[in-house]
Amino acid sequence: MASMVTARQSAGAKRRDETGKLLVHALVIVICFLTIFPFFWMLSTSFKQADEVFTKDIQLIPLNPTLRNFPDAFGYFPVGHWLWNSFGIAVLTTLGKLLISVPAAFAFARLRFRGDKFFFAMVLATMIVPGVVTIVPNYVMVSRLGWLDSWTGVIIPSLPGTAFYVFLLRQNILTLPQDLIDAAKVDGASTLKLLAQIVVPNIRPAIAVVTILSFLGAWNQYLWPLLVLNDFEAKTLATGMQFFTSNTESAQLWGPMMATAAIATLPPLIIYAFAQKQIISTFVTSGIKG
Amino acid sequence: MATIRVTNDAALVRSVPERRGIRWHRLLEGATPYLLIAPLLVLIGVFIYWPLFYSAYLSFFDWNFVRPDKTFVGWDNYTRLADDPRFMRSLRGTAIYLVTLVPIQVFLPLGLALLLWPIRRAKSQSAYRIMLFSPTVIAYSVGAVMWLWIFNANQGLLNKLLAEFGVERINWLSDRNTAIWAVIVVATWKTLGFHLLLYLAALEAVPHDYVEAASLDGASHWQIMRSIRFPLITPTFFFVLVTTVISVNDDVFGAINVLTDGGPFESTTNIIYYLYQQGFKYFQIGAASAVSIIVFFATVLLTWVQFRFVERHVHYG
Repeated sequence: MASMVTARQSAGAKRRDETGKLLVHALVIVICFLTIFPFFWMLSTSFKQADEVFTKDIQLIPLNPTLRNFPDAFGYFPVGHWLWNSFGIAVLTTLGKLLISVPAAFAFARLRFRGDKFFFAMVLATMIVPGVVTIVPNYVMVSRLGWLDSWTGVIIPSLPGTAFYVFLLRQNILTLPQDLIDAAKVDGASTLKLLAQIVVPNIRPAIAVVTILSFLGAWNQYLWPLLVLNDFEAKTLATGMQFFTSNTESAQLWGPMMATAAIATLPPLIIYAFAQKQIISTFVTSGIKG
Repeated sequence: MATIRVTNDAALVRSVPERRGIRWHRLLEGATPYLLIAPLLVLIGVFIYWPLFYSAYLSFFDWNFVRPDKTFVGWDNYTRLADDPRFMRSLRGTAIYLVTLVPIQVFLPLGLALLLWPIRRAKSQSAYRIMLFSPTVIAYSVGAVMWLWIFNANQGLLNKLLAEFGVERINWLSDRNTAIWAVIVVATWKTLGFHLLLYLAALEAVPHDYVEAASLDGASHWQIMRSIRFPLITPTFFFVLVTTVISVNDDVFGAINVLTDGGPFESTTNIIYYLYQQGFKYFQIGAASAVSIIVFFATVLLTWVQFRFVERHVHYG
């Protein structure tokens, strides 16, 4: 603890401390290396010519880098459609989740009404219902509604999977000073005005975090879209990748396959790199408690 | 706040000619909380609670999804499971994933968080966090595809690397002794970051004065960690434990689907994958529903056990 180092500590202890930290850094760097290596290998492969992909020895960095694999991937499979579907589904799911979660979180945090505790418990209890328990009936329902192979079929049934976000937002609204709420009430603001003009602007960081997490969740979801989207062009990136895998042994499409994987991983990585600090600080203020 | 006015008098004056408006207003205000929670609760009711009951109902019928009529078969869908060797193998896989991945996913990120904590002010810290978290933000299926290219028997990196040391080709994904470990490696890699983030956030939330008071009293780094920091992050620890037990078998679905499709010889399958195959490969809707009801009750039971026996060791606030 650098800030705690006092004059009492000898130079020797200080040096030991420094060596200890260097060792920690070294260990963490090794773990980081192992963690990102599959990403590196994917990227490297996505820029390789076919003959370099299949060399016997390990070629870490492409000798003759090429961009071919990217247009090739779009040629073999409707990757453009998949990209658009992933994007559209992720954006609309996120909007939908925000629209139902923020008002509910506000009601559970600041309003007293008959049954409030019961309804909140109903929401939290959904966290212990594994998603897979509901897929058979939901599939039956969605196919009867004629929603198979549509964005609607993917989006609507996944909207209620938002208990964790409601909890996170509620915790954040609870941390707002009571004076702020009271002042608005004295001012004669209606509940809706209170929500729109006082609460929402003041929990913007938490809303940003929920937006990012639910975008990532929707972008990455697998089992449900795998069931609902059967049409070749209706797939998302996460579910479409399976066509490459079912073909690899015969067609040897590793280059285009890794190019598609790179396209699928880039948006989440960029979004996360920018939002990392915000996400941590929101978790800190929310105080996760089981 | 310049806009705050004392408006009570004004409201009184206004109330006389606008009494009807006010009654409406009151009614609307009374209904507001319900209007705010209604969309969420309706969706939860339709897509989570109702399916739960419908699953229970379907589990007593023989139905293939295409046929218009369902045949009532009583408990047959449940009792038949016991005779199905594929189901038994899926239980074995489920147990292996629980026993290996729960400790890995709960303790490994905790250890890493404790390792990162003393160097949290280093400039490289945010680079570390971004790298360690990166597998968590991508799709399970896409991550699994990246590993497919490492585990691939003919052209994969791992075998090429081992060949340098004279190790002969290993069929990682089609050997029943190694395939499940490949899935476990991918699952470990995939979930490390999120739990790490939760632990780091919890460590950051520990009040600074506690730590300072202890260190003034001469407590060492590890004493502080053991008797102040750890007890104060037990709520997060408990949260991670409970959610991991619930989700671990659900989570590995993407990895199983991409890497092994449950094989070889059902060595990597689990109860979730069995449900998926029964329902959407063989269209045994009744059997799949019976499995989903079993999964539900097992989850509730496991969660209850943890609240009953582990939660007492948790310090809130």
